[in-house]
Amino acid sequence: MKKASVLSLIGGVILWELVARFIVKSTLIIVPPSHVVRAFVDLVRQGELQTHVYVSGLEFVVGFGLAAVVGVLLGLAIGVSDLVRDVLEPWLSALYATPVVAFAPLFVVWMGIGPSSKVAVAFLLAVLPIIINTSAGIRTTDQNLVDVARSFSATRGQVFFKILIPYALAFIIAGLRLGVGRAIIGVVVAEFFGTRAGLGYLILTSSQLFDTSALFVAVVILAGVGVLSVVALQKLERWLAPWREFAIRT
Amino acid sequence: MATLEVEGLCKSYRTPNGQDMPVLKDVSFTAADGEFVAIVGPSGCGKTTFLRVLDGLAGADGGSIALDGRPIAGPGPDRGFVFQSDSLLPWRTVADNIGFGLELQRRDRATARRMVSDLVRLVGLEGFERYYPHQLSGGMRQRVNLARALAIDPGVLLMDEPFAALDAQTRELMQAELLRIWAEAHKTVVFITHQIDEAVYLADRVVVFSARPSVVKATITVDIPRPRPLSAKRQPAMLSRVDEIWRLIEEEVRR
Repeated sequence: MKKASVLSLIGGVILWELVARFIVKSTLIIVPPSHVVRAFVDLVRQGELQTHVYVSGLEFVVGFGLAAVVGVLLGLAIGVSDLVRDVLEPWLSALYATPVVAFAPLFVVWMGIGPSSKVAVAFLLAVLPIIINTSAGIRTTDQNLVDVARSFSATRGQVFFKILIPYALAFIIAGLRLGVGRAIIGVVVAEFFGTRAGLGYLILTSSQLFDTSALFVAVVILAGVGVLSVVALQKLERWLAPWREFAIRT
Repeated sequence: MATLEVEGLCKSYRTPNGQDMPVLKDVSFTAADGEFVAIVGPSGCGKTTFLRVLDGLAGADGGSIALDGRPIAGPGPDRGFVFQSDSLLPWRTVADNIGFGLELQRRDRATARRMVSDLVRLVGLEGFERYYPHQLSGGMRQRVNLARALAIDPGVLLMDEPFAALDAQTRELMQAELLRIWAEAHKTVVFITHQIDEAVYLADRVVVFSARPSVVKATITVDIPRPRPLSAKRQPAMLSRVDEIWRLIEEEVRR
């Protein structure tokens, strides 16, 4: 991280502490970071936080993992086949325009309050940007590059693996980055509608108990997971596509 | 051996409103083995279309193309295409771009590596093997583009305005470099350009296309001895050829 970014973060936390202590002065509305740290230590000591993080983490990993695999495969199929595109496009457009989180209570009714309903909502939210980015990457491939391969008598398979996939890679990773944030939202919102554990559950119960400190613990952990995932995907992109240092960032 | 014979080639494009627009109308020409033929013509006359048909990237509506007497349809390793925009694969290094055609042909790695390093030397890019295209200048990228087409050792090199995007000085240097490489590699070259002085300086013969739909309007032989230093461009014999060709094209443009 850049020095200015680190200083900015530290400054923000100090400002938060000062505002909470001396201006707002109500721990119901906002708690200072020092209280959040204390609440964090308490929750860890009780062993409660570990359970919540484990449950939500598992739901996120499975939901996002499935979305990544299915999203990339469907996106590639839509990218190379007009038929697949024409069949799926109306559904995808409809789903993309719908606030899918609105289905969350429905999934809890269908699949119960166990992890599977959260995995389903996270999957559904995350899979759309992955599909759309992947197919856009394939469809916008520079036709000149395809001509280069054809001029060397490349087979369709060679065009796919040596031109289309490398070209679409940056788009795919951008789609995965968007998917991470949406999968986290999916897990938390689905947990609001019925669960036995998880960070969404922690947020819901602590808000009902007016325990704002515990609520903030959950929010900070979720933000941290989101940031770390995006950084990891950036690292992955730099490793897989070092030539794209100058490329567009989504 | 690589003698290219084109007989009565024609091709039209379907316009968006469903009409056929003829681009090439009865183009016939021959390039002898090892000959350097340049094609010039008014803008939009179908020169690039002609070259794409020769390479097999586009189909013809009629006529025939034969290489050493064998008819050709579709791309093949007997022809190498040097693209107008350099069209290098941005995720591949210089060496991997040059070796791309060999990789598609599934040559064994050791042979491919040896051929690539010979080509790197031929086009003067030693030391840049591991650079990516965005780290190279325009002239260097066109050297890679040329080496990539030469890698599959085609009999005929098809070049589509390869120096059009370069600045004037780099273009002159690349023209001289191309003649040096051509003399070493012994290829038949079909070279498309907008620039008449470039055509005259490089070619043994300059073929002038008419305005669309194209026919061969004239063929001018450039009997200026080789090797031709860049200063040859300012010789009276060269300038009079340029003049002659410009008058032919002017007639077409003003039609």
